[in-house]
Amino acid sequence: MSVVSPPTPKIGLPATIIGLAAGVILTGIGVIFGFVQGVSVQTIILSAIATLAAFVWGWLFILGQFVSDAPPPAEGELSEGRKVWLKFRPAIYGLIAILALFLILSLTIEGFFNVWNVVSLLILLTIIVLTRTLGRHFQENRSAFVGIMVLSGLFSIGTMNIEGFASAINIKSMLLFASFLGIASVGQTLVALLGGLDLSIPFIIGAANVGLLYIIGLGVPPWLAVIIVLAIGAGLGVINGFLSYRLQGQALIVTLGTGFAISGGVQIVTSIGSAYSGNVFGQVPAWLSNLAAMNGSTFGLPFPPVIAIWLAIAIILVAGMRLTVYGRYLYALGVNRTSAKRVMISELAYWVMMYAISGFFAAVTGSLLLGWSGGGFIGVGDQYLFLTLAAVVVGGTSLLGGAGGYGFTVIGVLVLQVLSSFLIGIGLDFEWQQFIFGLLILPMVALYARSPHIRTQI
Amino acid sequence: MSDLTADMELAARPAQGGRANPFLIVPITLFFLLLGLAVLRSPSLMTSAGIGSAIIVATPLILATYALMASVISGRGTVDLSIGPLIGFINVTLIQLHAAGVLTNPITIFGYAILAGALYQFLFSLIVVYVRVQPIIVSLSGYLALSGINLVILPRPGGIAPQFMADWGLGTTIFSPVFAILVLASLAWILFTQTAFYTHLRLMGSDERAAYTSGVPIYLVRIGAHLISGGFAGLAAVAFTALISSGDPSQGTTYTLIAVTALVLGGASLSGGRAGVFGSFLGAVNLYLITFCLATFNFGAVQSFVTSLAYGSILVISLLLTLIIPFIQRHVHNFSPTLYFIVLGVVALGVILHATQDRDPRARAVATEPAAIVQPLTPIARDRLYIGPLEVAEPGSNDSALRSQAAPFVLSALLLVVIAVFVRVAVSQSDRKSIAPAVAVVVAALVLLGAYLMRYEAPRNPVSGNTEESR
Repeated sequence: MSVVSPPTPKIGLPATIIGLAAGVILTGIGVIFGFVQGVSVQTIILSAIATLAAFVWGWLFILGQFVSDAPPPAEGELSEGRKVWLKFRPAIYGLIAILALFLILSLTIEGFFNVWNVVSLLILLTIIVLTRTLGRHFQENRSAFVGIMVLSGLFSIGTMNIEGFASAINIKSMLLFASFLGIASVGQTLVALLGGLDLSIPFIIGAANVGLLYIIGLGVPPWLAVIIVLAIGAGLGVINGFLSYRLQGQALIVTLGTGFAISGGVQIVTSIGSAYSGNVFGQVPAWLSNLAAMNGSTFGLPFPPVIAIWLAIAIILVAGMRLTVYGRYLYALGVNRTSAKRVMISELAYWVMMYAISGFFAAVTGSLLLGWSGGGFIGVGDQYLFLTLAAVVVGGTSLLGGAGGYGFTVIGVLVLQVLSSFLIGIGLDFEWQQFIFGLLILPMVALYARSPHIRTQI
Repeated sequence: MSDLTADMELAARPAQGGRANPFLIVPITLFFLLLGLAVLRSPSLMTSAGIGSAIIVATPLILATYALMASVISGRGTVDLSIGPLIGFINVTLIQLHAAGVLTNPITIFGYAILAGALYQFLFSLIVVYVRVQPIIVSLSGYLALSGINLVILPRPGGIAPQFMADWGLGTTIFSPVFAILVLASLAWILFTQTAFYTHLRLMGSDERAAYTSGVPIYLVRIGAHLISGGFAGLAAVAFTALISSGDPSQGTTYTLIAVTALVLGGASLSGGRAGVFGSFLGAVNLYLITFCLATFNFGAVQSFVTSLAYGSILVISLLLTLIIPFIQRHVHNFSPTLYFIVLGVVALGVILHATQDRDPRARAVATEPAAIVQPLTPIARDRLYIGPLEVAEPGSNDSALRSQAAPFVLSALLLVVIAVFVRVAVSQSDRKSIAPAVAVVVAALVLLGAYLMRYEAPRNPVSGNTEESR
């Protein structure tokens, strides 16, 4: 395809029709609201023409870059409108839904129709159009592309609508929470690549959080206590790995069971002889607080070291999975375990290893969260039960194994974090945030992770 | 799976899936172990009120497990994580609509609950079928969305359940409306397993491609499975509302994890194709019994931690036990879960009778004393606390009264066991030329006669009979 910009890009009739229709609808909305708000007629006409022209030009230009040639003439059995419908059906659904939502919101909420919201709407529309057109050219990393588009769209909308969204302190706090979630999702990603699940992560986080403070309280030097906790976390992961390997297909429920047992057992140990059942109080060492607190510093630089740690982990994992033989074997096992076995890859060893890593990083997250909060609390990991799963899924790692990677999960984590900050920023409560989270996961996954039709699998 | 009788039975009655399911060994064993422990720890479980309250508490969980069962059988790893929030959603909307005066009479309330559940599951199945996203992602999405919106609809626990439900949650007798719901739901499921639709569902769950190529309308079957699942979820929500007799936005959410646990404890396969109503029922009851047993021990502040530890351990151990099932099958031919259930049932009945009917006179003598003792911390002598496993005492007048009250229950339990054995023998022998059915009929008639006579004599001479009968 030639990138030298052609003066009149060749574009199919269907795409032209959609573009015109979308442009006209957009212009119509603008005109209606112009009249409702009592703007002078000249301004309305001018801006309407400008909107239409800009939109149609953008449409032709962007589509023209990527739609290779005009489609072959119809054979006669399909009308033009039908073909348009078939080709761009999901995008049209998305466009109509968003336009309708915008109309309803504008009509019901006073002062909703302002410049920033219109720009936000345009950004959203652009994302949908781009993912449907450009996305076709990213066979390999479609989900990463969608994720980055959504991320940048959300970020720019947030910056425009919320004061201080792009300020250094907000970005720092977003990165801080993202690194907790990111470190907790390491294990979930690796295990998902094998086709398993690890629901014991939140329980190990809580147990490590409480257990670390308890061990420090016993008088053990903090560095030794951290090592003990991490080793126990990895050990629990090994147990998980053995059990899940033996009970293939039941990983979800096995890890849930071990999670319950771990959380109960640790709490029994820590609360024997303590007046506060479940909570542990004690002195967190200063270096651990510095590691994860908002006002921490890394070698004099004003950001908490946990962000740097997360970055290092991400780089090592992404590079390791691409370049080392261990990483390639992991993918081989996830794609087809039978053929992987034939080339002498030990399945058991990889299951145990990945679950051990998962337990280890859950314990790391628990220890870091102790540094962040300064007090032990068993429920600190509860929200990670489904958030780690959501980050993996939104990023684009398949839960069936074999496709994806930690780089995708990083994008997923960032999307979730920016989205949550944005929702907090526009003043939504926790329950609304959760609601919108739930509703958004589905279309984002549907953009790239649709399974093929059954008739193609036979 | 190459059990000879199972094959013969399958050949004779193809519609009866899941009847000869060897995976039922684990839940049955666990059930009777827990039941024995629970009764020995707290004999009050085996009173009308005890069983009644057990039913009230366990019914929402059992129904939630049924709801999961329908969609789990349909395969593709459909574990509906959103079942808990869905129950919570129906609960809070029910309470709010009732408060607004929209839903008043029982029929509309039941209709609303079932419809709301079915509608949600209908949407779920449409997304799975047409958008073709993995079901677990849809359920994850539903979990987050519904648990969020529940808190919006009802920010904190409160509200009043409809008037007619007010006394449902008391659980003073066995035969409560909740019990009726449970029985009807179980019957409905058993009827459902007799249909061709169910066979299609299981085929699709075991191998979707095979089902598609053999002409099963897999879209319709999947949608149907979800509709049934939604109906059961609605019933579970009604039972849940009756249990807490108010609205609670977050309590329902906890049902997700325990219902999945119960389903797996009951021998279902999360990858699809295998699940049974009997196993799911036992799995849910087992979970209730675990909590009940642990509640009889006093762990003080760490009570809930011990519960969670025991939960997790029992879950993992019983999953590991399913690994030895192939070995059992290899060495024990003609294994019948029904017979196993009955044998263990008779043993458990003996334990129940022992725990509820036998009293140690020494312990009873002590029981009246503590009221007079000034220092409550004086330890009671070890031998007075201990109740020997097989010591038979002379019952006092109080016990006699209790015994005469318990007689009908004991008799009906015996009767049930006899009928089960009889049916089992009759069915398995029906295609052979033998006198076993005739013998069974005669034995059953004799037992019925004996039961009638004992029942007739019971008020006059309540000491005789029952305990000797059970030994």
